Amino acid sequence: MTTVQFSEETNKKIQEIMTHYPEGKQKSALIPVLHLAQAESQGWLDIPVMDHVAELLGILPVEVYEVASFYSMFNLNPVGKYVLEVCQTGPCMLRGSDKIMNHIKQKLNIKEGETTPDGLFTLKPAECLGACGYAPMMQLGKTYRENLTIEKVDELLEELKKLA
Amino acid sequence: MGETRLLLKHAEVPGIRHYEAYREHDGYKSVEKAFTMTPEQILEEVKTSGLRGRGGAGFPTGMKWSFLAKPEGVPRHLVVNADESEPGTFKDRYLMEFIPHLLIEGMIVSSYCLGSNASYVYIRGEYAWIAEILEETIAEAKANGWLGKDIKGSGFDCEIYVQRGAGAYICGEETALLESLEGKRGNPRIKPPFPAVKGAWGRPTVVNNVESIAAVVPIINMGGAEYAKIGVGRSTGTKLISACGNINKPGVYEIDMTQTVEEFIYSDEFCGGIANGKRLKACIPGGSSVPILPANLLLTTANGTPRYMNYESLADGGFATGTMMGSGGFIVLDEDQDIIYHTYTLARFYRHESCGQCSPCREGTGWMEKILKRIDEGQGKMSDIDLLWDIQRKIEGNTICPLGDAAAWPVAAAIRHFRDEFEWHVLNPDECLTRNYGLAHYADPLEIKEQA
Repeated sequence: MTTVQFSEETNKKIQEIMTHYPEGKQKSALIPVLHLAQAESQGWLDIPVMDHVAELLGILPVEVYEVASFYSMFNLNPVGKYVLEVCQTGPCMLRGSDKIMNHIKQKLNIKEGETTPDGLFTLKPAECLGACGYAPMMQLGKTYRENLTIEKVDELLEELKKLA
Repeated sequence: MGETRLLLKHAEVPGIRHYEAYREHDGYKSVEKAFTMTPEQILEEVKTSGLRGRGGAGFPTGMKWSFLAKPEGVPRHLVVNADESEPGTFKDRYLMEFIPHLLIEGMIVSSYCLGSNASYVYIRGEYAWIAEILEETIAEAKANGWLGKDIKGSGFDCEIYVQRGAGAYICGEETALLESLEGKRGNPRIKPPFPAVKGAWGRPTVVNNVESIAAVVPIINMGGAEYAKIGVGRSTGTKLISACGNINKPGVYEIDMTQTVEEFIYSDEFCGGIANGKRLKACIPGGSSVPILPANLLLTTANGTPRYMNYESLADGGFATGTMMGSGGFIVLDEDQDIIYHTYTLARFYRHESCGQCSPCREGTGWMEKILKRIDEGQGKMSDIDLLWDIQRKIEGNTICPLGDAAAWPVAAAIRHFRDEFEWHVLNPDECLTRNYGLAHYADPLEIKEQA
C-alpha cells in the first residue's frame, strides 16, 4: 500500500475514465490518470505517486514509469508553480520565438530547464504546440499564450507574480 | 476566387460551438440521413466522394474503410486522430475549437458506417482546453439523443470518448496512437497487421484525421458525387490550409484546391502577401515534413506552368522539383530567413520526437541536428554537407514508421535546393554570423505583382 491519496473528486474521475475501455483493458486509462495525478502533486510525478497510480490500475510500477518518462508533459522532477513552455520550432522561430526565449531568460535570470529560486517559474523550451499561426507563443498550464511580444511577456510575468 | 466553405461554413455563427445554434444551422442532418441508409450505402458515398485522408498521407478514406475486417462477434472501433503535431499545422484545432459538433456529427455517421459502438478522439495533451470543449460537446449531443443507446430509434448504439495524449509527436502515427490509447509508450507497431485488422486492443480499427471525419458530414448531406464535383481531378472537396510564417494574414483557410499557390500567398482573401513588404524566399506547403521549395519552384512547376494548391500540382516534379500537400501546414519564409537555422530547428524537433525504437532515426536525427548547428554557427566543413546528405539517405525508408522519412526529407530538400547557402556558411564562417545569405537566385524570377 502506498501512502499517497488523491482527492475524492479525482478518484471519482478515475473511476469514470476506467469505464471508457473494454473490460480488462483498464491500463488504457494510464495517461489520463497520470494527468490527474500530476495536477494533484504540485505538477510533477514522484515515485510514490506513480506507484499509487500503478496500484489503482492494477499494473506494475514499471509500466507507469516507462510511460511517464516517454511523454514530454509528465515532469519527473519538481517544477515551479508556473511552467512557461516556449515553442521554438520553425514556424515560431520565423516569428521571433528566440527573442521571447532570451527575454524570459534574462528577466528571470534562469536558463532553459531551470526554476527560479523562489519556486515560482520554470522555463522549458517546447517543440511545436500547434499554434503556428499565432506565433510566437508559449504554453502555460492548460492554456496557450499567443502572439507574444516582449511587452506581453512582461505583463504576463507581473500578473503571475501577483497571483502567486 | 475566395474560400469555398463546406466545413467552416457556419464556423463564425455566434454560439455555433453549442448545440442549439449548431442544430439550427443544419446540424446533425447527416445523421438523420445516414440512418435512412445502410452502412454499405454510406461507404459507397464516401468512396464516390474521392475524399483523401486529410492528416497528411492523402490515402483515399473510402478505401481505408473498406479494408476494415469484420469478424463475427469482435467489436470494431473508430479512432479520430486529433494529435495534430506536425509543425505548421493547426487546422484541426481550429475546427474542434470553433465548430466541435461537426466532428462529433461526422463521428456518429462514420461510427454507424463502420459499426463502432465505442469511438475515441485521441487529442494531443497540450490541447487541454479543446479536450474540455469536446467533452462538453459530447455531453450536449448525448443530452439531445445523438449518442447513447438506440440513437433516434435507429437501433444503433454509440459512445464517444475523448482521450488526451501527453506530448509526443509520434502519437500522430496511427499505430503509435493506438499504443498510447492502450496506455503504453508511443512506439509504432510493425505493419502488417494493419489497424484495420488488428488495431485498438487487437480489434479492427479505423484511424482517421479530424478533418477527414468532419468532411463525412457534407459528403452525406450533399452526396458523394456532388462533393466530388468540388475541387479538381483527384483532389476533391475542400481542404483546410493552416497558413503561418512570414505572411500578413496567418490563419486557417478552406479552399477548393483550384487556387494557384501565387494567389494563395498574395491574395488578400488568403495569406495577404509577405509581411513587412519583404519578398518570398521559400515555403513548406504541407507541414514541416514535406520538402521545402524555393520561391521560383513553388510558384511555377519545373515546366514553367503555374503551381496549384492541390495534391497533384504540389507534387508535380516529384521530390526533385516538387513537394507535397501533406497536412496543409503552409509555412512561408521571407527573404530574411536563414535556411540552415530553420532546417536546424526542424531537425531538433525530429530528434526530440523520435521514439528511439529504430537506430537510423534515433541516432540519425541527433547527428543531423548537431551537424546543422555546427554549420549554422560557422563551424562546418564542406564534407559536412555530404555527410548530412548521407545520413538522411540512410534514415529514409529504413525505419518502422514514417517519422524517419519525415525527419530526412526537410534536410534533403534544404540541401537539394539551397546547397549554395550551405556552402556559403562553410566558406564564410564569420560573415554567416552577422548576416543572412538572403534571396540569392531563389526568388521568383517573375516580377512580383504589386500588392494592395
